[in-house]
Amino acid sequence: MAKEIVDAMAMQRALTRITYEIIEKNKGINNLVIVGIKTRGVFIAERIAQRLQQLENAQIPVAQLDISTYRDDATDRGSKAELDIDIDGKRVILVDDVLYTGRTIRAALDALMDNGRPAVVNLAVLVDRGHRELPIRADFVGKNIPTAAAERINVNVTEIDGVDSVEIR
Amino acid sequence: MTKRYLILQDGTVYAGEAFGAPATTFGEIVFHTAMTGYQEVITNPIYHNQIVMFTSPTIGAAGINHRADESIVPTVKGVIVREIADVSTNRLQSMSLHDYLKRHNVPGISQIDTRALARHLRKTGTQKASIVDVPDAHAFDQLRAMVLTTRQVAQVSTPKAYANPGRGANVVVLDFGLKNGILRMLSDFDANVTVLPYNATVDEVANLDPDGIVLSSGPGDPRQIPDETFDIIRQFQTRVPLFGIGLGHELFAIANGATLQQMPVEHHGMNHPIREQITSRIMFATQGQGYAVNPDSVRETDMFVTHIDMTDGVVQGLRHRDYPAFSVQFFPDTAPGPFEATQAFDEFMEMVTARRGGWLS
Repeated sequence: MAKEIVDAMAMQRALTRITYEIIEKNKGINNLVIVGIKTRGVFIAERIAQRLQQLENAQIPVAQLDISTYRDDATDRGSKAELDIDIDGKRVILVDDVLYTGRTIRAALDALMDNGRPAVVNLAVLVDRGHRELPIRADFVGKNIPTAAAERINVNVTEIDGVDSVEIR
Repeated sequence: MTKRYLILQDGTVYAGEAFGAPATTFGEIVFHTAMTGYQEVITNPIYHNQIVMFTSPTIGAAGINHRADESIVPTVKGVIVREIADVSTNRLQSMSLHDYLKRHNVPGISQIDTRALARHLRKTGTQKASIVDVPDAHAFDQLRAMVLTTRQVAQVSTPKAYANPGRGANVVVLDFGLKNGILRMLSDFDANVTVLPYNATVDEVANLDPDGIVLSSGPGDPRQIPDETFDIIRQFQTRVPLFGIGLGHELFAIANGATLQQMPVEHHGMNHPIREQITSRIMFATQGQGYAVNPDSVRETDMFVTHIDMTDGVVQGLRHRDYPAFSVQFFPDTAPGPFEATQAFDEFMEMVTARRGGWLS
């Protein structure tokens, strides 16, 4: 049985707060780029970028990152992920939906570094569910949700799931 | 029915019928356009020393229900209505509006053409008014001689600190004319609240180790507030989440370098669409404001405008660029008002939680 633990309003609010925190921490939006990890991280990245635009009236570059060939359990490792924006010297906000073991973020960092040398990389996630297996933490967290390892966290976004919510099952 | 008169400073006389207490009263007249929530309005300390006129045609149909009290006793000097409801069928009521006002010695006047009066006040701006038995020269002399207090906050703020205990985050509320709704909302989050008087010092706040600070709403001119309050805001906004409401919003704005202007027509109602800038979401909320933040002055500060009134462009929310500190001009406690405005409390408590590493208690 899936149980909704974050509704659409609370999810919107979490993204709004993350956006304000990004401005606070970076002292503005100069030199900022946002990189979303496929699949749902991209939609969350776009929403943050949209909020920054509404607030500051500035277009923030958003890129998608496909980390499948960087996964530590991938069989076809080695082919390079292509980013369609320049991240050299930029302040990169890396965005994903759920932070769990930290292995996805490790892969994403490798993929980023293959594409340039950012000035700073910050991590924003909608949900931090704990159970890290690598020394990785998020700079911006929408919701801390304590979970058991056997539980599953599902993030839904309207763009592909028709609804904004976080469910636990 | 006893005939009584409402007289205005500019010489206008309206004849009406008495209800509530038979006393003579003086005060600044304001009009409220809400269709519900008369009890919350007449007990809201922001209307301290004012005579409130409701434009909604019938007032009193829900009686008085003490769960809707926003302070212990009514704060207004008088109530003006088109029609006072004879019958109320609310099962939660403990008495009629008439009996309540009578008990607390607040006079009311009904059978006033409140819509004509609202149009008149829109033209003339805020005026002194009086409810009297005889509208003679003597009554006008007394009305014109009346000096309105400018120390409303000192009169309505708590004289001593007190606790509103909970098991969650430690929140300090500065009371500039606190309404119960603010405490009710914080209780919903089980916050452990300490309410401090309006003239609290930096040390008094620091000694309580707050996880977050709320600047309450309140009556009157922000210039009556002691200088130390602005020090509290500037020092603590760098350390803990800070949330200003109404007068608290105005103080947050001033502390960070914005300026205020007095509004020619005040906002007292709940029918203005308000836009949240960051999401373009439209919401409605109860408003009660006679001062507004000058939007041009915000551009020179480290704040951005987060909410705007869509009817006249008045600033309805601010946020600091560098710190987790924000404020709203409207009433987010929704007592009365549309529930969507409570988002601001969720935002504040989520900021408090996030700063404690994501966990509370």
